[in-house]
Amino acid sequence: MRKNLKLSLSLLWTICFVYFFILMLQLTWQYIPLQNDVAFLQIKQTEVNEIPLYILFFYIHVYTAIFVLLTGFFQFSAYILRKYPFIHRSTGKFYVVTILFLSAPSGLFIGLFANGGFYSKISFVTLSVLWFYFTLKGFLFIKDKNIVQHKAFILRSFALTFSAITLRFWKVILVYLFQPSPMDLYQIIAWLGWIPNLLIVEYYLYNQSKK
Amino acid sequence: MKKLFCLILSVLLFSCNSKEKKTVKNTPVKVEEKEIMTELYGSWVGDFIVQERDTTRPEKERYSNKINIIIKKITDSEVIGQSVVAGNNRPLAGTMTVNGSTAHFILKEPGDDKNDGVFDFEIKNDTLLVGTWTANNAKKEVTKRKFELAKKEFQYDPNVMLPNDYDYIDYENPKEEQITQSEEEIEEGTEAETYVENLYRIASESIVTINSSTKKLKESDIKNLKKIDLEILRNTIFARHGFSFKTKTVRQFFDSVEWYIPVSTNVDDQLTAVEKENIILLKRFEKYAEDNYDSFGR
Repeated sequence: MRKNLKLSLSLLWTICFVYFFILMLQLTWQYIPLQNDVAFLQIKQTEVNEIPLYILFFYIHVYTAIFVLLTGFFQFSAYILRKYPFIHRSTGKFYVVTILFLSAPSGLFIGLFANGGFYSKISFVTLSVLWFYFTLKGFLFIKDKNIVQHKAFILRSFALTFSAITLRFWKVILVYLFQPSPMDLYQIIAWLGWIPNLLIVEYYLYNQSKK
Repeated sequence: MKKLFCLILSVLLFSCNSKEKKTVKNTPVKVEEKEIMTELYGSWVGDFIVQERDTTRPEKERYSNKINIIIKKITDSEVIGQSVVAGNNRPLAGTMTVNGSTAHFILKEPGDDKNDGVFDFEIKNDTLLVGTWTANNAKKEVTKRKFELAKKEFQYDPNVMLPNDYDYIDYENPKEEQITQSEEEIEEGTEAETYVENLYRIASESIVTINSSTKKLKESDIKNLKKIDLEILRNTIFARHGFSFKTKTVRQFFDSVEWYIPVSTNVDDQLTAVEKENIILLKRFEKYAEDNYDSFGR
């Protein structure tokens, strides 16, 4: 019975992830080929024109995000870990290296120029620093063969990775309910995108630790 | 040989002569008729109100549109004018008769457009233009409109703003929403009823505070605006230039504005450099708002 519940939960999670991952793919597709004034960049022309490295960091962030999401997702497969541990290791290394050297630094940089003013800027900057820290910790713990802490920190890292999806999900919900002005909305989703994710993971880890 | 030469010469001369005669005959000297009552020249502006409407079909035309009847030339035999209303710019031609202090006009639109008709109006004491318009096509939704127009001269003023007296609500594009009665509303023994409620877009304060004609707008100035605000800010530029709007969505906001006078259906070459840049910026933000505001993404 308990096993059934677990199985159906992971099935539900997979379906959810696949659905939103496809939406993320469609969003990324808007940025191919590389252009200076498409989609989100339509309202970012000030930064594009005045901040020399903005467009570079923006595209690093956009193009790596999709791979980080995908490789991150497969780290939680117990099946892969048991049957093909080398896949877990190699995709895991890819996940860690991409975040530490590309996604998190570029996230920090574009976070400094985030829409919604001061409050969303602190949110995105904090998000990228924590993301870097959790991912690095997760990697260092497995080097020390500390599996429990490795699992905990990679779970925290992925909670923040997954904010790419939850942030956009909350946006749709809030617009449907309240039709706020775009930047008021942005200030809210900047925080709503990752704080609840992290709280859920912390709650889960707390429960696990008591067992 | 000499005879032949003379003959040819005379033929040539004759033909020249006849040609000259012909040209003289074909272009009779046009005597310019004296222009009269020039004090009536100019724009007459006001509401163009439905008088007869086919109520058996869905209501498409607005009850009232702002019209500008321009009188350009009056002589004893003809009157030349122009009508500008709802994005329709038509030349007028007709006649005038004077009776005491009242001048009576009958002016026709050319008749080659499905919306053309005939204006019949009087100007009393040079101050109020009152009359009706009848459509040529009797099967149109609205076949007759009435109007009372006052004389107003159009002048471009980049500083005029939309008045702050009322809310700007888009009544033309309601969004229907299904609403089911909540538990408390349901009376005993009846089932929950579902009904449809219309939701309307409402513009923010920004449209009466931001001047899109004089201020070079930055992205940060308009980032927090919704699509309706962006649309109104952009169209206010055109309204200041006297652009006559075709779309009802836009007309509903400007027709009641005191300074707004429709004078033209193309003002592109009158836009200032600042206005042109603002229009491009606003359009870009409108497109972004349209594509992204309520969808999954940023």
